[in-house]
Amino acid sequence: MKDLSHLKKLVRNSLLFALLLVVFVYSYRVTGIDVARLVRDAPKARNIVLDFLHPDLFRRDVEIVTLDMAFPIPCGSAPEAEPAASGPRLATSVPCAAARERFALEGFELAPNSTIEIRWRLPDGRLWTINRVQTDADGYFQVEVEARPIAATADGVPSLIQADALVPVGPYKPSQTFDDVMANMLVTIFMALMATTIATLVAAPLSFLAASNVTKRGCIGTVVYYGMRSVFNILRSYEPLVMAVVFAFWLGFGPFAGTLAMTVVTIASLGKLFSESIESIDPGPIEALQATGANRIQTVWYAVVPQIVPDFISFIVYHWDINVRISTIIGFVGGGGIGYYLKERIDMLAYRQAATAIWAIVIVVMALDFLSAEVRKRLT
Amino acid sequence: MLSVQNLTKVYPNGTQALKEVSFDVQDGEFLVVIGLSGSGKSTLLRCINRLIDPTSGKIFWDDLDITAASPSELRHIRRHIGMVFQQFNLVKRSSVMTNVLSGRLGYANPWLSLLGIWPAEEKQRAIHALERVGIADKAQSRADALSGGQQQRVGIARALMQEPKIILADEPVASLDPVLSHSILQYLEQLNKDGMTVICSLHFLDLVHRYATRVIALKDGIKVFEGLPKEIDRAKFKEIYGEDAQEVRATSLEAPA
Repeated sequence: MKDLSHLKKLVRNSLLFALLLVVFVYSYRVTGIDVARLVRDAPKARNIVLDFLHPDLFRRDVEIVTLDMAFPIPCGSAPEAEPAASGPRLATSVPCAAARERFALEGFELAPNSTIEIRWRLPDGRLWTINRVQTDADGYFQVEVEARPIAATADGVPSLIQADALVPVGPYKPSQTFDDVMANMLVTIFMALMATTIATLVAAPLSFLAASNVTKRGCIGTVVYYGMRSVFNILRSYEPLVMAVVFAFWLGFGPFAGTLAMTVVTIASLGKLFSESIESIDPGPIEALQATGANRIQTVWYAVVPQIVPDFISFIVYHWDINVRISTIIGFVGGGGIGYYLKERIDMLAYRQAATAIWAIVIVVMALDFLSAEVRKRLT
Repeated sequence: MLSVQNLTKVYPNGTQALKEVSFDVQDGEFLVVIGLSGSGKSTLLRCINRLIDPTSGKIFWDDLDITAASPSELRHIRRHIGMVFQQFNLVKRSSVMTNVLSGRLGYANPWLSLLGIWPAEEKQRAIHALERVGIADKAQSRADALSGGQQQRVGIARALMQEPKIILADEPVASLDPVLSHSILQYLEQLNKDGMTVICSLHFLDLVHRYATRVIALKDGIKVFEGLPKEIDRAKFKEIYGEDAQEVRATSLEAPA
């Protein structure tokens, strides 16, 4: 009999173990965990990380400049060019070459993503087009050039390699991306500000209804108290992201839908915090002011409000801070602001612009975090 | 004259705080209520200005039935009854000035008071009230920056703003260092000499002997003594406080003249 129960336990545990094993194997396959790929694709990550470390912040005005350098063909027929060390410049892989030899031509610190025309300027002044090339995002190009016999040195005068290039001039200015990121960041901050403000205006009066020491009196009061608390608890259980999608169906994607989604969630959260703050006040001053013959509104204004205002302000600032983060996420599902901008840039594979947005988010969130902590510290 | 008749209070949880308590207070008296903690002293004082509604019984102030007053009548009655509390009951984050001015809310224009606007004469009255308790220089301090004794003086100044005819003082010195007790009670004594009726609950018998013009004692909500302070002898003391009680002197080092 005892052996039988022992056996039953063993069978049950084995079945449980087998079931867990199946669940885990299946989960592993569904999630597509692939450690080999994680290692194999590391170089891809490297490029993305590098882009993130070089956010698109600055731009400069550009100007067409003709760069040139002497290139003796064959070697020794004329003095070689002194290579420049910095600034917009051309450089060759060899200082001189024999006719029909091939060498590499490089250009440095030119305007990014611009077209450049390269040509020979022959000793007699005629021009001979070599190629058109495109600079990369750093303003660099490299191209292979053949030392043409026609460009050979004549009478000790070498041919020049000439390039009509767009080169950056003047002071650094904020890039277009920088301006766009700032504008979108402001939208996000303002969305959070509006959501927090509207939520405060709604939650502050409602929170009194959810405070037991104010409302939980008599039959009606008790019903209102539990009703209000339930509303706050139910609203609080919705993710802002889910709420944003609901509002987006209703109002279309954009800052308005995102703001409303945050407002609803913030009302619930602030309402609960406010009501708890009201519940924890010292009842003494209320009694004292009732005893002076003050009416109910005067009593609340003079005895309750001064006790709760610092808490309220600290909760409001804290929620503004939270809402800036949330509105970034909400932007991803079409809520507008910096989140939407970031999603667009990532979809366009414009990682340097995405990097600018991410840096802006990090800096603003950190600044607000600091600010809200500072404000709350001062209020206690 | 204040007349308390058959006052009974039963709390919703069944506690009987007061049982058929009756007594009269003549204008200008310094009536002290004594008794153990939980004997009903606080409930009695709060029934007089109806911070607590009595279950049965009547309280008349001259011909006015306080127990039957409507809410607006009650506010008018309360304006003339100042109250001082054991825990001071100041708004700690507000300034002393605001705390004192709030004693005048029953008289103030409701709308202006909600905007925080006070006429110059009321501010002057507040300063004057603070001068009477000797802390006019603290008017702009936050209430919680003051010591306990100073906070209780702000509490008295707040009550003075009502220009009260009666002052109810619920254990006004129980939260203070015993050495500060006389300081606070002397202010109440001065107000009493200026014509205000004072009804005060106290713990220490030597304070009762020093300040009271008449005493009533409560035990388990029943009035067990009414008379002059000097009538409380050892036997009475044991009767009021129980056989195990030992008298404690509040200030044995320095008794004022």
